[in-house]
Amino acid sequence: MIARAVRISAIQMGFVAGLLAVVAGALFEVRPPDAYGLCMACHGRDLVNWTLNHLAGTHLTVAPASLVFPVLTTIGVSFGALLGASSSGEFHWSTPESSWRTFAYGALVMNFALLAGGCAIRLLLRTSAGERLGMFGFAGLVAGVTAGTLWLRWRATR
Amino acid sequence: MAAVEGDQVTAAVATLVIGVVLGYLGQRSRMCFIGGIRDFILVRDTYLLKGLIAFGLAAWLAFPVIGFVAGGRPGAVGASDALTVALTVAGGLGVGFFSTLANGCPFRQHVLAAQGVRSSMAYVAGFLAGAAIFHAWTAPLLARMLP
Repeated sequence: MIARAVRISAIQMGFVAGLLAVVAGALFEVRPPDAYGLCMACHGRDLVNWTLNHLAGTHLTVAPASLVFPVLTTIGVSFGALLGASSSGEFHWSTPESSWRTFAYGALVMNFALLAGGCAIRLLLRTSAGERLGMFGFAGLVAGVTAGTLWLRWRATR
Repeated sequence: MAAVEGDQVTAAVATLVIGVVLGYLGQRSRMCFIGGIRDFILVRDTYLLKGLIAFGLAAWLAFPVIGFVAGGRPGAVGASDALTVALTVAGGLGVGFFSTLANGCPFRQHVLAAQGVRSSMAYVAGFLAGAAIFHAWTAPLLARMLP
């Protein structure tokens, strides 16, 4: 028997995430660079490259915040989501799409995100910090989502 | 050096704890930082878009407040050259376009992977492999091709 599932709205989640992203950077040393408190791409990159550098002796780029020890956002998010899914009975094995295709999407998104200097979350965080380059990146993101959505709609109605 | 190490352990622990909190909240709220814009364009649904706006507003308000409390340290607002701007915009475009095709932002994909969605697990694997690919091949290639 599963206890009544906790319900949280996107607004509540967005507000807490925005706050914690700033707190992580300003109070918990998740810097430099600036506005680095929360990013799925950069933090994932730090974890992968730091691990490869230590295991295989490579010299892949790692942000200064992760030189000695990598930031662990991606692992935390996965654990937290697993906790949320299992506590609410929403954990189900499924394969809605071709895994090869999503693997390629993942690699593409990471490459573009590192080019832009952040995933969707960090581009917005940099925009909120008033960083002009981040605003350009976020504008590009909005244009990209718009193009992708119109493309999906066009393909569906063709 | 010891101080730096201490700072970095703080950062690692903090990001782990914050990650767990946000992963839980993200799973319960189905939050996606791409889906808000997509849903608004497609069906004028604003549920996820409000989350996106809430994130931006909260961070925008928190930066000056926490900067004041923690002893303000203004970020470098240097001018960027045209090439950097172009690459950043191109990067943003790519993130937006392919995240829409993949049906969710990287955060949402991590959450879905933890819910047992195998194609999102493949996405996360590709995402992490992409980091090594970028620094091993993409960045050197770009550096050679661009002026």
